Amino acid sequence: MPSPLRRRTTSIIVHVLLIGASILMLYPLLWLLAASFRPENEIFTSASIWPSSWSLDAYFRGWNGLRTGFGTFYLNSFIISGLSVIGNVLACSMAAFAFARLDFKYKNFWFAMMLMTLMLPYQVTLIPQYVLFRQLGWVNTFLPLVVPKFLAADGFFIFLMVQFFRGLPKELDEAAQMDGCSPWRIYWRIIIPLSMPVLATAAIFTFIWTWDDFFGPLIYLGEMRQYTVMLGLRTFTDSTGESDYGGLFAMSALSLVPIFLFFLFFQRLLIEGIATTGMKR
Amino acid sequence: MAVQTAIATPAGQAQRPSVWSRIWQNDAPGYLFLLPWFIGFFGLTIGPMITSFYLSFTNFDLLQAPQWVGANNYIRMFTADPKFSASMRVTLFFVVFSVPLKLAFALAVAMLLNRGIKGLPMYRALFYLPSLLGASVAIAILWRQIFAGDGLVNKLLAMFGIIGPSWISNPNYSLWTLIILSIWQFGSPMIIFLAGLRQIPQDMYEAASLDGASKWRQFVKITLPLLTPVVFFNAIIQTIEAFKSFTPAFIISGGTGNPINSTLFYTLYLYQEAFGFFRMGYASALAWVLLALVGLFTAFSFLTSKYWVHYDD
Repeated sequence: MPSPLRRRTTSIIVHVLLIGASILMLYPLLWLLAASFRPENEIFTSASIWPSSWSLDAYFRGWNGLRTGFGTFYLNSFIISGLSVIGNVLACSMAAFAFARLDFKYKNFWFAMMLMTLMLPYQVTLIPQYVLFRQLGWVNTFLPLVVPKFLAADGFFIFLMVQFFRGLPKELDEAAQMDGCSPWRIYWRIIIPLSMPVLATAAIFTFIWTWDDFFGPLIYLGEMRQYTVMLGLRTFTDSTGESDYGGLFAMSALSLVPIFLFFLFFQRLLIEGIATTGMKR
Repeated sequence: MAVQTAIATPAGQAQRPSVWSRIWQNDAPGYLFLLPWFIGFFGLTIGPMITSFYLSFTNFDLLQAPQWVGANNYIRMFTADPKFSASMRVTLFFVVFSVPLKLAFALAVAMLLNRGIKGLPMYRALFYLPSLLGASVAIAILWRQIFAGDGLVNKLLAMFGIIGPSWISNPNYSLWTLIILSIWQFGSPMIIFLAGLRQIPQDMYEAASLDGASKWRQFVKITLPLLTPVVFFNAIIQTIEAFKSFTPAFIISGGTGNPINSTLFYTLYLYQEAFGFFRMGYASALAWVLLALVGLFTAFSFLTSKYWVHYDD
């Protein structure tokens, strides 16, 4: 057995290592935050994460830095992310309910098909989907970004919910059936209320991933008044000719705020979601 | 529903439910609940897959009806397209270096955290944060700034008297900045490793240390073998993600994949062909080659897994 002294030393070394690693991990983020509050002339001369003087100038400049202000971009991002959350939670939980709690012919075959789609790189369906949405007249609207969510296109969340639904006691459904409950009532009145943890996890990840999404809006949104925050940021780097770094950093920091807030409040839930299911990123 | 039916028609009564009502009672609810998914599955996955396979043999440009060109797209790709081979090299390089390094970091940190230390939830959360923010445009912008010629990294190096290169605009280093970004986001495999490490019974280590096995030997003989299912899972997920990576390369290179195509990810090239030059047929062919590549990789992993992945059952 190692002596208490040796134990203590190892523990101190581990903590020093971990604290060092944490600082290394967070340093870029803190620097970004600091840069957004710094006077413009200090951004490129300082590696410190404490501005010599604080100023909100960059935020005001950045917010109005493009013809359409960032206010519109935020509103667009919130609309798209909000609708995506509703669509994903509703459609994926319905599909998951069918796979986990109902019996029907060829169920296993369809479930296997669903799992296959998890592996499929989105590039394979990208071009025909684009052509389809173009023919429907949906390009330059939010529809191509939102409607697929109502069709449970992200099978990953179905899988996540199936795992959870399967864990609920089967007796619940049977008792409800005896009482003459329809499958819809069992889904809506029993399974959904009992599944808040997994539904919240799916909702939070849907929000964050949709908020972060760059590729979808890049392809489907052509007019600046429809841009999301991510597209706005990218346009900001192009159109100001990289001159207003303060504004760019301020808007970058601001774009991370919703994600950061979710992280702060639901950290435990997110980490459990990852640990039990193996989320992607 | 089955129970209900049985009660409604007690045994002995001649009245049998018709085939249709049986289907309605047994199968219809499942299919109704799956209806949105079915529309998505056929309309957004299967249909587009068939279409994209067909388009990959045409010269479709979005404006005119697609014309059949046989295997020309595929032939051109492998014989007469330097950007295709460049993007393939860049992507494979990225996958080969970023995935193992990321997993190694994830495992190392998970092992450090799995010692029953104080403040575990805090460390875990801090290490996970970059992964959560990772796909964002803001992070890519930050990264471009950190590795610029007058950026943060070179300022820190200058403190030690080292003059750093301009990482982003130097083709020898530009891809490495993206690899470092990917490693920085080791959080989610780390959390999965942590969950896996928890499953290993502690008494195995106690028995091993009584037998005088060194820490390293315990790691090689106990931890690694018992963790192989988790390693396997993480490796597959992270590899597929690495193949699909797009946003950082797009933002950092301004959509070009430069300098000298050194950050021309496969997905970025595909995007350029499809939405820059509207060569939709050719881009479809590129997509199918990507699918074949990911499919081959996955199949290979699953086939070889029985030699190195241990499931205790």
